[in-house]
Amino acid sequence: MTGTTKQNSLKKEFAEIGTTFRDGDWKTRISYLILGFGPILRGQFAKGFSLLAGEVLFFVYLFRFGLGYLAKFNTLGTVETQKIHRKTVYGDNSFFILLFGLLTIVIIAAFIFLWRMNVRENRNEEERLKAGKKLPTNKKVLASLLDDNFDKTLLALPCLGIFVFTVLPILFMICVAFTNYDKSHQSPTHLFTWVGLKNFQSLFSFGGAGFGSTFLKVLLWTLVWALFATFLDYFLGLAVAMLINKKGIKFKKLWRTILVMTIAVPQFVSLLYVSKMFANDGLINATLLKWGWIKKAIPFWTNPTLAKITIIVVNIWIGIPYMMLIATGLLMNIPADLYESARIDGANAGQMFRYITLPYMLFVTGPFLLTQYTGNLNNFNVIYLLSGGGPQSLSMAGNAGSTDLLVTWLYKMTVTDTNYKMAAVIGIMVFVVTAVISLVVYNMLPSVKDEEGFQ
Amino acid sequence: MAAPKKTSSMSRNKKIGNAVAYLVLILISLIWLFPFFGLVMQSFRSFASEYGGMVSYIIPKHFSLDNYKFLFSGETNYLRWYGNTVIIAGVTAVLQTLVVLCVSYVLSRMRFKGRKFLMRFWLILGMFPGFLTMICMYFLLKQFGLTQQGAVPGLILTYIASCGMGYYVCKGYFDTIPKSLDEAARIDGANNFQIMNLIILPLSKPIIIYTALTAFMAPWCDYIFASYVAFGTDKSYNVAVAMYRWVNTNDYQGYFTRFCAGGVLVAIPVTILFMALQKYYVEGVTGGAVKG
Amino acid sequence: MKKNAVSVLFAGIAAASLLAGNLVPVMAEEETTESADPALYDGKEVKVWVADAAVDFTNDEIAKFQEEYPQYAGVTFTVEPVGEGDAATNVITDVESAADVYGFAQDQIARLVSAGALEEVNPDYVDDVTERNDEGSVNAATVGDTLYAYPLTSDNGYFLYYDSSVVTDPSDLDKILSDCESAGKNFYMEINSGWYQTAFFFGTGCDLSYETDTDGNFTSCTTDYASDKGVAALKEIIKLAGSSAFQNGSSANNATDYAAIVDGTWDQDTIKQAFGDNFACAKLPSFTTDDGETYQLSGFSGYKLLGVKPQEDEDKLQICDDLANYLSDEEAQLDRYKTVGWGPSNLNAQQDDDVQDDAALTALKDQMQYDVPLGQYPSEYWDLAKGLGDDVIQGKLTADSSDDDLIAALQTFEDTCKSYASAE
Repeated sequence: MTGTTKQNSLKKEFAEIGTTFRDGDWKTRISYLILGFGPILRGQFAKGFSLLAGEVLFFVYLFRFGLGYLAKFNTLGTVETQKIHRKTVYGDNSFFILLFGLLTIVIIAAFIFLWRMNVRENRNEEERLKAGKKLPTNKKVLASLLDDNFDKTLLALPCLGIFVFTVLPILFMICVAFTNYDKSHQSPTHLFTWVGLKNFQSLFSFGGAGFGSTFLKVLLWTLVWALFATFLDYFLGLAVAMLINKKGIKFKKLWRTILVMTIAVPQFVSLLYVSKMFANDGLINATLLKWGWIKKAIPFWTNPTLAKITIIVVNIWIGIPYMMLIATGLLMNIPADLYESARIDGANAGQMFRYITLPYMLFVTGPFLLTQYTGNLNNFNVIYLLSGGGPQSLSMAGNAGSTDLLVTWLYKMTVTDTNYKMAAVIGIMVFVVTAVISLVVYNMLPSVKDEEGFQ
Repeated sequence: MAAPKKTSSMSRNKKIGNAVAYLVLILISLIWLFPFFGLVMQSFRSFASEYGGMVSYIIPKHFSLDNYKFLFSGETNYLRWYGNTVIIAGVTAVLQTLVVLCVSYVLSRMRFKGRKFLMRFWLILGMFPGFLTMICMYFLLKQFGLTQQGAVPGLILTYIASCGMGYYVCKGYFDTIPKSLDEAARIDGANNFQIMNLIILPLSKPIIIYTALTAFMAPWCDYIFASYVAFGTDKSYNVAVAMYRWVNTNDYQGYFTRFCAGGVLVAIPVTILFMALQKYYVEGVTGGAVKG
Repeated sequence: MKKNAVSVLFAGIAAASLLAGNLVPVMAEEETTESADPALYDGKEVKVWVADAAVDFTNDEIAKFQEEYPQYAGVTFTVEPVGEGDAATNVITDVESAADVYGFAQDQIARLVSAGALEEVNPDYVDDVTERNDEGSVNAATVGDTLYAYPLTSDNGYFLYYDSSVVTDPSDLDKILSDCESAGKNFYMEINSGWYQTAFFFGTGCDLSYETDTDGNFTSCTTDYASDKGVAALKEIIKLAGSSAFQNGSSANNATDYAAIVDGTWDQDTIKQAFGDNFACAKLPSFTTDDGETYQLSGFSGYKLLGVKPQEDEDKLQICDDLANYLSDEEAQLDRYKTVGWGPSNLNAQQDDDVQDDAALTALKDQMQYDVPLGQYPSEYWDLAKGLGDDVIQGKLTADSSDDDLIAALQTFEDTCKSYASAE
């Protein structure tokens, strides 16, 4: 269905471009080559000159910079680095060929879009003039940037920023997943090139030094961790919020302030200290040993199972306060008469929680919980600062440890091993996992199914 | 006769309940504060007359201000690092708030072609882990001369460049402001620019403060990307990068207590700011995060 | 951005001209390097990375260097504190922004060479450098047959520090452990590190070494960990990990309540402060297996090296070569020992009285005779060794494990080690 409608709309596009040329006047026809020609002659200077400037910039970019990179895009460079006497003469830089090649492709696409806009603008102007209407003055066109076209004004810079610093890098890294860019193929000294699906194959190769079983282990722990981190914090945070909100409890502000210390103090200070506290030779073990409660240090970080539990527990320390703040605000929003009528019906506190508070909170916070979950999938700081991903094992490949999340593993690959190709593959996997979970859970949320629910 | 009995047993129950609640709260508070207590105590242990490395006890044998003196002595670039961090955090807070407000206003208030597409596209982009693109970001910034010596503006640029994607909370908040206000203003002849400035923004104090506060706090903790961008130039480090080396490389011996002191100095302004603005933070989160 | 386009173009032209007239450009270059005209060097900038402790020292040395080489008076030198550990990682991330001259630990050399981050030692200096430094350090700086770096120190090995009021016999590992246990003190050794682990394996006579080609690629691996000798070593590691006094670690800075630690010279001051008057050091102890066999712990002896980054400007390369040579010669090494305490690799400097009397360096020297000079290892080896050590610490391999289990684990280890060499 959608395929055919897309095809139809594409056909319509081309038809429109054709008819505009056939029916258009000479100004329009020249505009097909010189962008903005028609609008300028019709007095639409603001639009016309912007279009023309776009075209000039495009061709300057293309011929002075872009084409050189694009031409090498299929090989990512062939000229090797060499030594002339003792001087190093760098050859092709695969990194920049890939990056700027991609940029050039995107810019060419953008130019086609601009050209299409130019055709449509000409057509619109002609039609307006034929109908005997006046074209808007330049002043009006500019003023619309603060009104009807205010969206374009406000979004221009943010979109540009997101394109350069998010979209382009992501496109780049997706491409890297299909190359052999790693420590022995590093720019500028060495070239790297396309290798197809080889990296994905090695991610899913089992046995020996293959990444397959390690990947599954890390993935499983990532999912389990996010589940615990999200729901434990959620329910405990809710409980603490209700405790503080309880009638008759004084110094509410004080309790809240104490709890939110963990948000306020930068994690690289607090988590690092906590990590040392729980170490085999840290404060807690030393004290317990001194008191004679234990004979041998508790391996908080060195035993895989215990390390996972410790991380989840310490994360409560970080996570509860956020949830408590949110819950505090929301609990006050629950209509008081709901409780009143429940009380008249003879409900006790437990029942009120079960039938009023909890459903309300789950309903309102559904989407929030989902974002919390996907955020926890990528919760780098807690793992990195507490256990560093360890302990490792002979049975795990690629430098991964038992408490590594996909994202901390990705970090190790990027920084420690400079294994960019596999880091890119892992990154794509993180995306796939996040996307699948978001899609499935989002459609199950009560607040999505039934928007009117509690309103 | 029956009624008063019931209330007295209820109030006794209530008293016991409250006592338990207080007990739990005090216990929680102790657990919550203990690491900070430890951190502060360690920062007062002298590296000269006692020992600057790790120890397994918490109260120093003699209290001293050695570590703090060391930080201010100019032996290291600590003040410079601190200054860098304040600049990064301050500028980021201002610019990021501006960008987020603009994007949120457009997405909440205006309807235009491609709006749904844009929101969905950004949502998808957000599903890629941030660390994935580190190497690419580094070389991009380097093209603009914004690494090493230029790391401070470089970091600011990276923080604000993509912050438009984090519009959810703010847009959620704007969505709760009744549309009828806009319509009334429009009848009076206001354009979109005026509506934003004169109607929406004055009603958005909590969310503005929330956005600025979160933007201000984030750079203090950035160790990963900041160290990636600034490597090899001591003067461009932020506090986190510079101090993290003190506890994680063999080059620095006996710097643990100095790390604690430095950490306390970092924590103080951020904590005070957060405590002072906590009210708005709560209003911002609950107003925006959940409904959005 | 334009700069890059230009440099790509330039590279193309250069390559073409090389093909056209093979020797002509080479001849031309040679002439320019031989002149010592200061104008050639004025305004050039040279970045140097050394460990934080050595920054002031290096700045002083550079001032002297500029006096001795007046043609470099117009060169700007900047010294940044980047430790030997971080240097390699940073250089590899972006060779272009990295320091021109940098210190690094020798285990990184193959990685640096294969990433194109190390220039060969200037042919004029090769003989001199080879002659004046001890053999181990020269081997450490050599990849394939090429000398790639200037040896800086010969002190990157480890030995035993102990508190003489607790440890009665520093020559027997079991006695050290029982002394520590009864005193309630800790014994530190980082058994999950490929660096310290070899103390056991090499001690029982195991072998693990790699061959590299000149580009820093690993071509073959010789190892026999999966053998009776390997099992004996692994059993001792397991026994050590089972002691209540044992703590995994090698950084005195992060160690608590310890009476003994296997560590290197760099931690000397911290340990002195911790032990006070009871400070003592010795070669590593020996251990006795259940079969009654006694083995002396071995280990790696390692070196710190000074490297020069490949340069696109031959004049600048000359400055860097001269500087690196100067910073690693006899006088500089001796000065470095006196100011920062790093043990020299220079043969003459090693004969200096102060160096000879240094307690830690003497202990290290005693240990060195049992050590294996650290050769080239792929970076994956260190990760793998961490896995083996962690398996012991987390109790996957325990005293109850059968010999077959241990052999199986070591076989995995061996196979994986070998797989790194066959990889391209």
